[in-house]
Amino acid sequence: MPVPLKDVFLAAAALFVILAIMMFYRAVVGPTTQDRLLAVNVLGTNTVVILALLAAGLDQSWFLDVALIYALLNFLMSIAISKFTVERGGVL
Amino acid sequence: MIETLRFWVIVALLGLGVLFTFVSTVGVIRLPDVYSRAHTASQTDTLGAGFALAGVAVAFGWQHAAVYTVLLLFFVFITNPTAAHAISRSAAETGVAPVLAEEGEDGDETDRDAETDGESR
Amino acid sequence: MAVERLLVPLSDTVTVRQTVGYAVQSGLEAADSLECHLVVAMPYDADVPESDRYSDDAERLLSRAQNWVEEDAGGADVTIETTTLGADEYLFGPRDYAEIFDAYADEHGIDRVVLDPEYQPGVTAQLLQPLERELDRIGLAYDEAPVDRPARRGRLDGGAEGFDRLFATFLISYGFYLLLGDPTYWFDLVTGAAVAGIVAVSLAQVTFTVPLDRVQSPLRVVRFALYIPYLLWEIVKANIAVSLVILRPSMPIEPTLTRVNSRVRSGLPLTALANSITLTPGTLTVRANNQQLLVHTLIPGARDDLFDGGLERGIRFVFYGRKSAAIASPRERDDAEIVGGDEL
Repeated sequence: MPVPLKDVFLAAAALFVILAIMMFYRAVVGPTTQDRLLAVNVLGTNTVVILALLAAGLDQSWFLDVALIYALLNFLMSIAISKFTVERGGVL
Repeated sequence: MIETLRFWVIVALLGLGVLFTFVSTVGVIRLPDVYSRAHTASQTDTLGAGFALAGVAVAFGWQHAAVYTVLLLFFVFITNPTAAHAISRSAAETGVAPVLAEEGEDGDETDRDAETDGESR
Repeated sequence: MAVERLLVPLSDTVTVRQTVGYAVQSGLEAADSLECHLVVAMPYDADVPESDRYSDDAERLLSRAQNWVEEDAGGADVTIETTTLGADEYLFGPRDYAEIFDAYADEHGIDRVVLDPEYQPGVTAQLLQPLERELDRIGLAYDEAPVDRPARRGRLDGGAEGFDRLFATFLISYGFYLLLGDPTYWFDLVTGAAVAGIVAVSLAQVTFTVPLDRVQSPLRVVRFALYIPYLLWEIVKANIAVSLVILRPSMPIEPTLTRVNSRVRSGLPLTALANSITLTPGTLTVRANNQQLLVHTLIPGARDDLFDGGLERGIRFVFYGRKSAAIASPRERDDAEIVGGDEL
């Protein structure tokens, strides 16, 4: 093993962060609300993966609980916002 | 020996995860409209997250945390297509016109034509 | 004098008796003589092994209803016609039912359809509201029978079905709790049982949209577990194909919108199919209603896969068993077409 396993996880997490920042371009540029929403949804999945990688890299397995809740919230957010964009003026 | 094998398995899994997420990111930036972007976004959700979480599960080994990781992956697999469907459907309802191929047999509607008929609402 | 012709779709519900009674009474008020058409619409999955049971049930229901009509009519002039509809076509959703009723109504000069408020052909979820919407759209006059229905809960408690629901909900939530917690620690076992009990009591009535079957439901879970590797394999293939297209500098994509009429039932099976389609890169379900999927495809290869219907067969395998999985692909049965952007 050339490097410690922990470093591999941290490096992978760093790469995922870079990819997430690239994805941010789409969230900022749009052009439609749905484009932004889609980008943010993918960012959320990335965040879940990053949390899981950190859980392994830092050996804090409770990070996985955070990841699980984050995945839940990410799903709810996408559903809620896409519903809102269709029924503008309605209360979700 | 087993440890070295496990190490390389993890490196390979994480590498594949990063690769597919990279492709997906490039796709989301390059593709022309929200519908096509949704296709490639599902790559992050499936193989990107799948390989990365598999790597994490292998690292944790036969522990409770590995079960968690599998559960997390299962959850991502169930919710993300639903979210992608909701997003694309909301795009359809708000009248975002898709960019379609011009040589489709009878679907040769260019995006310019379709731009105007933002029906529904 | 005038003859009132009524169409009464029947299904085995608690209110079907009252519906028939209302149909006869209102029909005789409107005219001197009544022609009462009692029909049972066969659910579309009559090709599954239980199909014989369905048609036997239909026959029994029809003969019972015929007796009811004769009973209610007294000495009045009532003609009774009974028939089963849709035995050799696929009835999927409310639209198909509405259309088949409309065709029947045209053929026999029906004046009015009398609907049972609990109308529920097959084992699908409640159909009344979407059916009424479709009848409105078609322009067929209908009338909902005013019935006193027993409280819906009354049907469930005490019965074996209610118990099954409770038990299944309890098992699922307890299993999930222990998966998150520690199954060897007594505290988690006790709190898990308490929480699962509360969940089961409060949510058992809304958890399942189709009646549970003690043999079929666990079997479906097993078949679903078999379906997952197949789905993963499809996902890997599609991922590689899409990645190659995206990474190529010229990016030879060919986005098209397609419409596919799937042959799975609304509700959970259709959701599973639509989600599987979306999960596979290259195909994306934009809309799903009444078994009609509007799918956006990115590359021709993905479109061909979709038209070959592999995933649809998988879903049919999961929900209806191996025999029903072997059906013609959407392309062969002419249920798949490429549509333009204005279909959205």
